[in-house]
Amino acid sequence: MEESLKSICYDALVIGAGIAGGEAALNLANTGYKVLLVDKELSVGGKMIMLSKVFPTLDCAACITTPKVSEISRHPNITIFTGSEVSNIRKLSDNEFAAKVTKKPRYVHVEDCTACQLCEKACPTSVRDQYQFGLIGRKAAFIPFSICSPKAAAIDIDNCTLCGACERACPTHCIDFTMETETIELHVKTIIVATGFNLFDPNNMPRYGYGKFKNVITAMQMEREIAPTRPYHTILRPGDGKVPDRIAYVLCVGSRDASVGNPICSQICCMYSIKQAQLLMGALPMADVTIYYINIRSFGKGFEEFYQQAKGMGVNFVKGKIGRISEKENGNLILRYEDINKGKLQEAEHDMVILSTGVLPNKGIDGLFENETLYLDEFSFVGQSDKLASPAKTSIGGVFVAGAATGPMDIPDSILSAGAASSEAISYIIQHA
Amino acid sequence: MEIEKGKTAKYLREKAGGVPEQAKENLKEFTRIKKLLLEALADEDLTIKQLADKLNMPSDEVVYHLMSLVKYGLVVTGEIDDMDEYFTYKLKK
Repeated sequence: MEESLKSICYDALVIGAGIAGGEAALNLANTGYKVLLVDKELSVGGKMIMLSKVFPTLDCAACITTPKVSEISRHPNITIFTGSEVSNIRKLSDNEFAAKVTKKPRYVHVEDCTACQLCEKACPTSVRDQYQFGLIGRKAAFIPFSICSPKAAAIDIDNCTLCGACERACPTHCIDFTMETETIELHVKTIIVATGFNLFDPNNMPRYGYGKFKNVITAMQMEREIAPTRPYHTILRPGDGKVPDRIAYVLCVGSRDASVGNPICSQICCMYSIKQAQLLMGALPMADVTIYYINIRSFGKGFEEFYQQAKGMGVNFVKGKIGRISEKENGNLILRYEDINKGKLQEAEHDMVILSTGVLPNKGIDGLFENETLYLDEFSFVGQSDKLASPAKTSIGGVFVAGAATGPMDIPDSILSAGAASSEAISYIIQHA
Repeated sequence: MEIEKGKTAKYLREKAGGVPEQAKENLKEFTRIKKLLLEALADEDLTIKQLADKLNMPSDEVVYHLMSLVKYGLVVTGEIDDMDEYFTYKLKK
């Protein structure tokens, strides 16, 4: 049985090991501070590690993320707790916070696992793979994904039949069902909140048919289909395995829409859709790709050129608002939309529809704090007390915020924000030493 | 209770008082569908549509389970049809 650590001390706690949390942890660690990096998932890397390429450069996301993740994992000043959650944060003094960390059992001793995948092979169970957004199955004994860190197996105890096949197959005997949940008392000098964002659940907009029409998928599912570690051997419709040739993107699904409670722009959905359209045209040269948009917001460096490049490649842009999607018997989809330029209702047939879902706050962060109030903004993102001069400062002294926890932003902005948060945290530690 | 290294599943099974019903059902369902798909492909290479018709199963379920079997190394992808629309799938020899 794993030894339970009852009480531990670090200079900084970083909540969330996505690209912002990872960057902030690295900056702190490189300056000589001891950092505890906590993530509720089984791997560090957040959402970025799941992406195919990044816009507007079309650099491979994994090629950028994995060296960073590797550096975080190997850094002597960084301790990583995956599958763990922080709660009950109390500010004891200006330079001391106490918190509870709950570490769920992985049922695998990570340091002994060689990621040989023999447990996966032996496991008889198959359930939907959350890391492939349900497009394919995975075993109950599984390695989360091929570039995960730590690269080690985990047991999905809710779906495990406790047959012991994985244990018998494991050459290093690293699988251990006697592991139990650990609760650790943590003391730190500063905290960085880098809890990222959630994506809008299109089940909340039944008119788009997500969940009902199998060829309507989310952009994150398409992201997996075009990634090198894709679920299928090529791009296929999940409804019948057909190679699609008329693909539609619907932008602003669950964003800029007060009727679903999210009136703000998600900032990234125009560009990630244009990126995917370009990648699809490369993967399926005969395919027609149409993007239905309200406005294209190409505000960042190189974004307008990226948009024009997509147009030049033949991506069809239609300024139109989708009213309803219906399905034909052959699985094709009829999009009924308002053509904004012509002022007319139109219909178009596509064989696959991708919903570019908006960005939502990761709710409940404020509930982590016991004796202080972490103020949220009107959209429930973490409030910035001094947005222009010190964007990482929150309503609690010594607690800083990084990345998309403050609001929708792209990867470079998240990294920039992480830099600000780590600088503020370092400055805070020095001032309150 | 003495716990033998490499046989800890038994410990948890006894501690939890058995295996969750949902996990047992999932295993049963996957085993049933795996058997159906592998038997259907034993005779000939088939597309997903052909498999769905032959097994009277929704084609999206065939996609999900068949692609899982490809991932688990039991099935491999064959040729694409003349219209470049549907691939055939075959058992891994």
